[in-house]
Amino acid sequence: MRRILILMLLFSGAWNVAAQTGTIYGKITDLKGSPLAGANVVVLGTTTGTSTDTSGTYRLSGLKPGIYRLEISMIGYRKSITGEVELRKTPVELNFTLEETALQSKQVVVTASKYEQQLSELPVSASILSSAEITNRNVVSLDYALRYAPGVNMNMDQVSIRGSSGYSRGAGTRVLVAMDGIPLYTGDTGEIIYEIIPVTQIDRVEIIKGAASSLYGSTAIGGVINVITKSIDEKPQLYLKTYYGLYDHPSYKEWDWSGERRPFNGQTLTHSNSFGSLGYVVSFTRSENLGYRQDDYYKRYTGFIKTDYRLSRLSSLTFLGSYLGQNRGNFIYWKDSRHALQPRDIDQGQKVKSNRYMLALMYSNVLSPDFFLKLRTSYYRTRWLDETSSHDTSTTGLLEGELQSSYRIMKSLFVTSGVEAGSGKVNSNLFGKPGSFNIGVYLQTELKFSFPLRLTLGARYDFSRLDTLKGFGSFSPKAALNYALSENTSFRASVGKGFRAPTLAETFTSTTAGGIKIKPNPHLEPENSISMEIGINHRFSSFIASDIALFQNEYYHFIEPGVDPVDGLVTFRNLTRARIQGLESNFTFSLIPERLLLSANYTYLWARDIEKKTPLKYRPRHQALASLNYYSGWLEFGTDFRYWSKIEALDFELVDLGVVTDGDKRVPVYLLDFRTGYNLLSLGLPGKVFLNINNLLNYNYIEIIGNLSPIRNASLSLEFSF
Amino acid sequence: MKKLICFVFLSTILFFYGCDGGISPEAEDNRPHDAAGFGGTVSFKGSWPQGVTRTHIVAFRNPLVSAGDFNALNLAFVSDSIPFGVSGIVYSSLVNPQLQIKAGKYAYIAVAQSKTPALSLDRKDWFVAGVYYASGDTATPGTLVIPENTFVGDINITCDFNHPPQQPPGGE
Repeated sequence: MRRILILMLLFSGAWNVAAQTGTIYGKITDLKGSPLAGANVVVLGTTTGTSTDTSGTYRLSGLKPGIYRLEISMIGYRKSITGEVELRKTPVELNFTLEETALQSKQVVVTASKYEQQLSELPVSASILSSAEITNRNVVSLDYALRYAPGVNMNMDQVSIRGSSGYSRGAGTRVLVAMDGIPLYTGDTGEIIYEIIPVTQIDRVEIIKGAASSLYGSTAIGGVINVITKSIDEKPQLYLKTYYGLYDHPSYKEWDWSGERRPFNGQTLTHSNSFGSLGYVVSFTRSENLGYRQDDYYKRYTGFIKTDYRLSRLSSLTFLGSYLGQNRGNFIYWKDSRHALQPRDIDQGQKVKSNRYMLALMYSNVLSPDFFLKLRTSYYRTRWLDETSSHDTSTTGLLEGELQSSYRIMKSLFVTSGVEAGSGKVNSNLFGKPGSFNIGVYLQTELKFSFPLRLTLGARYDFSRLDTLKGFGSFSPKAALNYALSENTSFRASVGKGFRAPTLAETFTSTTAGGIKIKPNPHLEPENSISMEIGINHRFSSFIASDIALFQNEYYHFIEPGVDPVDGLVTFRNLTRARIQGLESNFTFSLIPERLLLSANYTYLWARDIEKKTPLKYRPRHQALASLNYYSGWLEFGTDFRYWSKIEALDFELVDLGVVTDGDKRVPVYLLDFRTGYNLLSLGLPGKVFLNINNLLNYNYIEIIGNLSPIRNASLSLEFSF
Repeated sequence: MKKLICFVFLSTILFFYGCDGGISPEAEDNRPHDAAGFGGTVSFKGSWPQGVTRTHIVAFRNPLVSAGDFNALNLAFVSDSIPFGVSGIVYSSLVNPQLQIKAGKYAYIAVAQSKTPALSLDRKDWFVAGVYYASGDTATPGTLVIPENTFVGDINITCDFNHPPQQPPGGE
């Protein structure tokens, strides 16, 4: 009886729908009249949509009679929204022509100056990583995605822009990483915990190259990475993602410590919706990786919430919350090159448990068309515990706040000013119980002339104090210009001072780690830099674009770990007077318009300690990156090639001391990644499937001493959006 | 354009063909071995039993067929203690042994654990967590032969706490 009832219900429903619904159908073509397969057709204000087939045709059935607007979109083409279409019972035919957008650099907007500007108008070098570039590579943590950004290299989890950083095992960063403008360095070590950034919620990542302390203060000595989260959709949306992957067997039998292919997997569930003035997005991710190396596993849970409350037409209040809970192994150095995937005996079983959360409240108000105000405050709490014999632990709270105003005094003069302050407190057996305080005020003006020149002048003063130590101030001015030589060519130049205050970890650490004794240094001073750059951006045609920059950075009082000759203990000291010069060139080619895109980058770095006349550690002299992407209807393919030359210098003292056996082993690096994706809309499912193979050639290399980087691994990921 | 794509593709193939595989293990021959010994890996599966105070790799000259075979004269090698709770280690009998092994033939290689506060040689105070088996034969403990001035590798032992091996006679 139940089956009959169900059949009756189904039948009556089908009849009902057939009787009361209509159809919109048509064909999508490009300007040449060629059909476009895989174009998305969505009925605005609903969740109904479809895609065109190989002949470029689409059909939207089951629509109730009414008035509709359709949105047609496709990668590489300008989005098109139709006028209102009245649908009755008879089918309606709607054909569209999409216009190619070719290279879209002019549309890209960045917030390098704390307000939105077009990329081509910036007076400094910048790169953008889009949401698609992150998702398509099945990136599980932002630091992996940064490896594909031009001019950026990662030394394990420490980011370096144009050679700004070496590797100091998490103590301090010379690049300010922020999420929607909120700094994400921890209060104790000053490191960036990338895992707390929800990768599926990233709209874009803006990478500003060169010292930006005149606007962002300490830690922006090498540049700024600002993660912009997605805006909240007005329609209810559910997003699901799951992936499963395996590491291949290592290249050598000696390295196959487990005898099995090590798996990794993850799941993400996101929901967003809006009710009147309130919009929200909630996301939860679980991920697990058993690790290609022994004791290099992790299991983590991340949560993210964002709410946006529109107080009025011109003001809003945004709340951000991000959480990370993680249990992971702690691989420090390999045992030796014959056991490159196993830790030293002394480090066996190392594991760390951590809980971190960040809460932020942001208020923005457009007081007039020429004046807007932003106020933000955030609290970032981190706690970690080394669960092995040392039982090292640290709990930190970091409170930050910023008030920013932007005022267009006249058509040609725009002023941004603000005040930013932070206070931190640490409780740790490694660092003691010190506190920290910093405050900075800044002012930046942008002058627009009648001829196409933009001149930016700015300065910031910072005062920092660590616990009871004497505080220090730093003044960071900057001057920059952007001159549009023609519609397709712009020239830029900048000079500015950068600085970085020492972190609590660099100043107060007292421990024995991996057989090395580290002692505190309360006499540490801030490190400074002078950063200079000239660059030119030129579009040869709609399909070829280039950007070339020459830069020089002078560093003073560089903070680096070193051995104190008096007692032989390791300590952080203002050791180095360094110079980094180089060239960065980027080219983008549309080989087959809107189908085959090639981007290529080459960076040359000459990074030297000019007193010792030795190369700086972990700065490869040559670095190249090439990405080839092919789109064809439902299918897409992509491949990335990365090369960097053999690192000239690393921590040789660890080899000499016998801490890292075979630690001087390093090679030039050739990495090839491959990916392919398929849009399941062709099957009527609102999702995509991706296959990613990273390190396809199973090339064995290091980023830091005694740590073999990930071997070949493959993953399959599925994502659905309802 | 097709020619350009073909050129880029072929260049890429040739480029990668010219690359080696990157970092490789240092040859065993390049490492100093002036003494006979053996080494390999010990991997642990499952949760470690609570209360274990020491874990060692041990080697006996003769098979343990009776409780009496567990004696100091039959015992030929005792490794340094393995840290509690590890998931695996790489070991060498040449590194910090508590009892150094010599060239010879050994009938029983195992990972033994004890819960006593002080070191004991009483068979009842020890239980075997894992045994070395040769060539996948898990029925009979593997025999280790160490020639003079030779280091024998690949003596790998798996300790599955959920499925412990058959215990030699004389235990609890």
